[in-house]
Amino acid sequence: MAVDWQLVAFLVLSALEVIGSILVVINKRLVRAAFWLAMTLVTIGAIYLLFLSEFVFLIQIIVYAGAVPVLFVFGIMLTRRKIMDEPAREGTP
Amino acid sequence: MSAPLIPNLFEVCKVLTVAIVWIVQQIIYAFAILIPPLTGLGDWLGSDLVVTLLTWLIAVTVVVIWATLVNLLTMMWVERKLYSRLQDRYGIMISIWSLPFWPFNRVKRPTHRGTGYLQNVADGVKLLQKENITPRNADSAMFHISPVLIASSTLMIFAALPWSSGFYVANLPLGILFIFAAFSLAPLGILIAGWSANNKYTLVGGLRAAAMLMAYEIPMILAVIALVFFTGSLDPIEIVRQQDRVLFALGPIGIPAWYAFSPQFLGFLIFSVAMMAEMERIPFDIPEAEAELVEGWTTEYSGMRFGLVFGFKWLRMIAGAALIAILYLGGWSGPVFATLDVGGIPVPILPEEVWFLLKIYLISAVFVWISWSVPRVRIDQILNIGWKRLIPYSLLAILIAAGFRVIG
Repeated sequence: MAVDWQLVAFLVLSALEVIGSILVVINKRLVRAAFWLAMTLVTIGAIYLLFLSEFVFLIQIIVYAGAVPVLFVFGIMLTRRKIMDEPAREGTP
Repeated sequence: MSAPLIPNLFEVCKVLTVAIVWIVQQIIYAFAILIPPLTGLGDWLGSDLVVTLLTWLIAVTVVVIWATLVNLLTMMWVERKLYSRLQDRYGIMISIWSLPFWPFNRVKRPTHRGTGYLQNVADGVKLLQKENITPRNADSAMFHISPVLIASSTLMIFAALPWSSGFYVANLPLGILFIFAAFSLAPLGILIAGWSANNKYTLVGGLRAAAMLMAYEIPMILAVIALVFFTGSLDPIEIVRQQDRVLFALGPIGIPAWYAFSPQFLGFLIFSVAMMAEMERIPFDIPEAEAELVEGWTTEYSGMRFGLVFGFKWLRMIAGAALIAILYLGGWSGPVFATLDVGGIPVPILPEEVWFLLKIYLISAVFVWISWSVPRVRIDQILNIGWKRLIPYSLLAILIAAGFRVIG
């Protein structure tokens, strides 16, 4: 039985990507949402790699590895820890 | 021109794999006399696909062991001895005779007058015995994932980093870019570690790492862009091959055509400074400024998890020094003074690996020297250095490189 491994890899990567992007939207903790966004972007990069465009893959990693920490910082500094959380609770960052 | 000690790592590992597979096959065939279906297993082990897969595994293992068990330990030892000498003391001196069990614990052996090379191993064993503590209010999943992210991305550098023209795992045409991609993943792990530990010191350390990330990574990439004007390639082996010639002869000494001696000198300085910030060496180690923040973003880690995030800094230092050597200082190219004739093949007495290691350790020694001689800069000062000095100078380096490229 011949398995089309490229198709399998594409399906696995795209499933991960869809799951990751759903988790970005529904996650209550903003920092975790940013982390899932990083996973989504890396899987998109891996799909670029599957299309034999290594340069775009590496640039994707380099650019978004810089962009996601900035998003993290904004997530930490400009919002509460949980979205739609009670505002003033002592002892939690 | 000198030749590598290992002409092709994959072929060398293939010989090893074939030998191991042959031995295992003979054992399986011996058992197959009793249990006949095992013959198929033996045949499957000898098939081409399995041997190739095992060879890749062995090649990766060889490079990882070479990088961590040999070079990481040596680099830590060199740093500890060297900064002790700079502070006018001896440094680590525990010798192997201080081990408390039989072949070592003989009397009349000086226990504290050795070179101290195995002290780092002892520290690692001590860290392995310690308890892994997770803070109560920490984000446990992210707290545990960030050492994995840092360690794996650091090891990923060595998949593309060649140690000589034959000693590498994979020769990628975009190797330099791959190394930068692997380098740039670790600050994400630092930020996650800093945020998830639920401690004000780790959070400040992580946010400092994120703040200085842009300030040094942009000039680093821009300096490499300036270099690519000259090389026209991102393949590390090709870049080193271009530098393996004599620029001009100064009497009997030939000055090599390293890119540090070309109009790329400005880019070399920028790249070295940015690489020091990337490696978190002391003038730029504000994410873990132990005088201000307890231990920076590593405060809450304990046990071997701390060992990983702390010790892999030296692995990144090796990778950074190797990158500087490859890009600007001629990599593994070096003169050959004498060759040894082994069966008609001239084997250089100083092969490429020796030159490369010599350059790596010299660059690292300079970094250690600098970092234990100067005080730490403040967070606003490094942002000023990055954004107001390094980025304009790296743009100037690009301009110079483009100008020289136009002239010829």
